[in-house]
Amino acid sequence: MVMDQDVARHLSDASVSVELETADMTLNIGPQHPSTHGVLRLVARVDGERAYDLKPVIGYMHRGYEKLSEVRTYPQITTLVNRIDWVSGYANEIPFVVAAEKLMELEVPERAQYIRLILTEMARISSHLVFMASYPLELGAATPLFFALRERERVLDLIESVTGGRFHPNFNRIGGVKPAYGSGSSTRKMVQDLPAGFFSETRKAMDEVLNAVDELESLVAGNEIILIRTKGIGVLPPEVAASYGVSGPNLRASGVGFDLRRVERYLPYEDFDFEIPVGENGDCWDRWWVRLREIRQSASIVQQAIDGIPAGPLQAKVPKVIKVPAGETYVRAENPKGEMGYYLVSDGASGPYRLKIRSASFSNISILPWILEGVLVPDIIAIMGSLDFVLGDVDR
Amino acid sequence: MPDFVVNLFDNFWVALGGKLALVALMIPMIGMAIGFAEMKLSAKMQHRMGPYFAGGRWGWAQLIADGVKFFQKEDLIPEEADRPVFKIAPIFVLMGTVALFVVIPFGPGLIFRDLSVGVFYALAISSISTIGILMAGWSSANKYSLMGGLRAAGQLIAYELPLVLAVVGSIILAGTMSMSGIVEAQIDAGYPYVIFQVVGFAVFMIASLAELSRIPFDMPIAESELVMGYLTEYTGFRFLFFFLAEFANMFTLSAIAVTLFLGGYWLPGIPADTLEFAGPVILLGKVFILVFAMIWFRWTFPRFREDQLQTLAWKWLIPIALANIMITATLKVFL
Amino acid sequence: MTSSPSDIESTTLSDYADQVAAVVGGTGAVTFDTVKVTVESSHWEAAHRTARDELGLVFFSWLSAVDWANEVAVGDPPGEEVEERLEVLSTVSDISEGRRVTFTTSISNESPAIASLVGVYAGANWHEREAHEMFGIEFEGHPDLSHLYLPDSFVGNPLRKQYPLLSREVKPWPGTVDVEPMPEGPSEENPES
Repeated sequence: MVMDQDVARHLSDASVSVELETADMTLNIGPQHPSTHGVLRLVARVDGERAYDLKPVIGYMHRGYEKLSEVRTYPQITTLVNRIDWVSGYANEIPFVVAAEKLMELEVPERAQYIRLILTEMARISSHLVFMASYPLELGAATPLFFALRERERVLDLIESVTGGRFHPNFNRIGGVKPAYGSGSSTRKMVQDLPAGFFSETRKAMDEVLNAVDELESLVAGNEIILIRTKGIGVLPPEVAASYGVSGPNLRASGVGFDLRRVERYLPYEDFDFEIPVGENGDCWDRWWVRLREIRQSASIVQQAIDGIPAGPLQAKVPKVIKVPAGETYVRAENPKGEMGYYLVSDGASGPYRLKIRSASFSNISILPWILEGVLVPDIIAIMGSLDFVLGDVDR
Repeated sequence: MPDFVVNLFDNFWVALGGKLALVALMIPMIGMAIGFAEMKLSAKMQHRMGPYFAGGRWGWAQLIADGVKFFQKEDLIPEEADRPVFKIAPIFVLMGTVALFVVIPFGPGLIFRDLSVGVFYALAISSISTIGILMAGWSSANKYSLMGGLRAAGQLIAYELPLVLAVVGSIILAGTMSMSGIVEAQIDAGYPYVIFQVVGFAVFMIASLAELSRIPFDMPIAESELVMGYLTEYTGFRFLFFFLAEFANMFTLSAIAVTLFLGGYWLPGIPADTLEFAGPVILLGKVFILVFAMIWFRWTFPRFREDQLQTLAWKWLIPIALANIMITATLKVFL
Repeated sequence: MTSSPSDIESTTLSDYADQVAAVVGGTGAVTFDTVKVTVESSHWEAAHRTARDELGLVFFSWLSAVDWANEVAVGDPPGEEVEERLEVLSTVSDISEGRRVTFTTSISNESPAIASLVGVYAGANWHEREAHEMFGIEFEGHPDLSHLYLPDSFVGNPLRKQYPLLSREVKPWPGTVDVEPMPEGPSEENPES
C-alpha cells in the first residue's frame, strides 16, 4: 500500500515518545470547598490522583484575638473567647476564667464548678455530634448528618435554657458562673439558678443521645464501605503526633491514653467515674471510633453530675471592676478538639498584659503537610475530616 | 379505535411524529416522577418531610417548580471553556437515555421499535453518555471538572463490561436478543429468568448503579471533594439536561433489568388479553421497586474510592459474570 | 545527669522545677501552678533537646513571646517599670502524667534572633512562623519563615507593643471608661442561690 504524501509528512512530524509525558497539575483545594471545614486552602501538586507537597494556607479568618485581648477587660474577653472554637462554644471560656481566678487566688464555689462541668461536657457532646454528622457526609453518606444533628438540637436546647445562647453562651464569670438576676423594675429581685425542669430534661436528653449514638454506631460502623474508606488511611504514629503537638481525640486514637481532664485540675473531674477511650492504629477509623465512645462517656458524666450537684452560691465574691494582680500562668484544658490553653500575663490592670491562646486545631492541622504526602485525593478529604478542626480555632 | 385514526397512524410519518411526541413527553414526566420519589423517600429515611409547600401538602409540584427555575436561569459559560463542546455535552448525555426508550417493551406489541438485536442496541447506545460526560469534564476549563471527567471515563468504561456480560445469561436462556422476544420467552417458560440468573441480575444492578454515577459509585461527581465533578460549571437548562438524564436513565436501566430478568410486563396469573392494558402498569410497578432500591443505596452508603471501584469491577464483577455465562451455557446445552 | 520521668513522679511542683532546671541547665520557679524554667538564649535549643530526650517531655504545646516595653501604643503600660526585652516562651509536656514545663528566655528588642526548635519538635514550625510575623523574631535554622496568618504583603509586627491599632489612632484609649457598668444586683455581695 503506497502511503500518501501528506500522511507520510504527518507521521514524520509526530514525535512518538516511548514514555508518556504527563504534567502535574497544581490544585487549589479551598478556600471555598465543601469539605475544608471553613476557609482553609491547600495548595497541592496533583499527579493523576495523588497529591504531593501540600501547603496549607491559613489566616483567612484571623481576627487578632491576642492583640484584641490586650485592649479589653477580663469580662469582655470571656465574650470573645467562646468564638474561637464556635462548635463547642462553652468549653473555650473555661481555661481563661480559671487562669484569671488562679492569679486572683479565688475559690470558685462547688456548685459553679459542677455547672461549668456539666456545660463543658454538653459542649463536648455537641462538638462530637457535629463530627459524627459531617464526617460521613464527606465520605458520601448523607444520612448520619440528619440523625446526629437532630440529637445535637436537644443538647443545644439544654445549653440555651441555662445560658441563653446556643453557640456563644458567655456564661462564665470570673469567680463562677453567671448568677442570673431577674431583670426589670420589680422591687423584689428573683434570683434564678438553673431553670426549672433542667435536671429531668437533661436526663431525658442524655438517654436520647445515648440511643442516637447506638443508632449511629449501627448505621456507620457496620457499613463496609465506610470501613474500607477509613481503616488504614492516614495513620498517625504517636511520636509524630506528640512532636507536632496534636492533641485530643487525634492523639488518643494513636494509642496514647492522655487526657487533660485527668491530669489538670481545672474542673472537678476526679469526682466522676469515666473512661478514656483509646484507639489502636491511629487511622481515620480510630479517630471516629474514639469520638463516638467519648460521647457516651460525656453523657455518663453529665448524668453523674446531675445526680450529685451540690447546693451553694454561683459566684465567688469579686469586686465590681476586676483587676487581676500581677503574675503569669498557663492553664490548659481538654477541649473537644484537643488541648486548649491560655498563657495569661497580668500586671495588675483590668485587662491582660499579654494573653497567648494555644488553640487545639492550630497544632492539629500543622501535621497536614506530613500526613497528606503522596495520598490520593479522596483520602485527603477523609483524613482532613477525621482530624476534626474548625477554622476559628486555627486562625483565632 | 375509530377507523380514521387507525388510518392516520398507518402513515409512517404521522406514526413517527406521534412516537417522537410520546417519547418527548414521557422522558420529562418520568424524570420528574422519579426525582420526586427520590426527594420524598430520602426525606423519610432521614426523618424529614421532603417537599411540602409546592403543590399543596404533598409537594408534588416541587420538580415542576425546579424545572421552571432551571429554565429561567442565566446561561453562564466560563470564559476559558470550549464553547461548542460545552454546549453539546449535555445533549450527548440525554441522547443516550432517550435512545434507550425505543426498545423497552411496555406491553405485548407496545414497543416503539422492536429491533431483533434490541439488547445489543440498548447496551451500545447507552455508552454514548460516557462521551458526553468526558466532553463536559474537559470543556469546562476547571481542574475539578477535569478530574471528575477523567474519573468518569475510567469508571464508566470499566463498568460497561460487567453490564454487557451480565445480560448474556438471559440471552442464552431466551435464545433471542430482541427485548420483546425475551419477555415472550419468559412467558412461555412460565418463570422470570431471575430465578436462574440471580448472579447475573446482581451484577447487572451493581454495574448499572456505576453507569448512572450514583452513590456508592459517584466518584465522578463526588460532591464533597470535587464540588460537582464534571457538572461543576453547568447551570440552568444545561444542568437540567444532566439532571433529567440521570433520573430517566434510572428508569431505562431498571426497565432493561426488569425486561431481561424479572419478566417484563408479565405477571404469572394475568390472562394474556389484559396484558395490553395491565402490562405498562406491571412494568412500572417492577421498575419502581428497582428504583426504590437504587434510592435506598444512595442514602445509605458512602462512596467508593476510585481504585476500590476499579478493583470491584475488574477483579470481582467481570470474573463472576464470565463464570455465570459459562455455567448458563453449559446447563442450557445439557439440560 | 540523666533522670527518667519515673524518678520525678511523686514530687511537688517546686521540686520538679528544680530537677528540670538542674537537668537542662537553667533556673526553675513555680508561678501559680506553672513550672517556669529560665535558660540562656544561647542554650535554647540544647535545653529543649535535653528536655525531650532525658525528661520525657515529648509533647510540644506552644511557642510564643511577650514584648516587655514601657511605652505602649494602645492599652495600659505596665504597672511598674520593666526591663525592655522580648521574652520567648515555649511549653512542652509529657504524654503520660501531664507534667509540663514552660521554658523562657530573653532576647533583645532590636533585631531579635534565636535558634529554631524545628530540629527538636516538628510542631515548632508553625508556632515560630507566627512568632516571626507577630514579633519580628528571626529563628535561625527555620526552613521557611513566610507569613502564616497575615497577607504576604503585610508590613509590621502586630503584637509588638509599639504597633498602633488604627481605631485607637482615631479615638484615644478610654481605659476602663469603655466598660459597661455591671448589672445592678441586689447588693455588692452575691445572695445565696
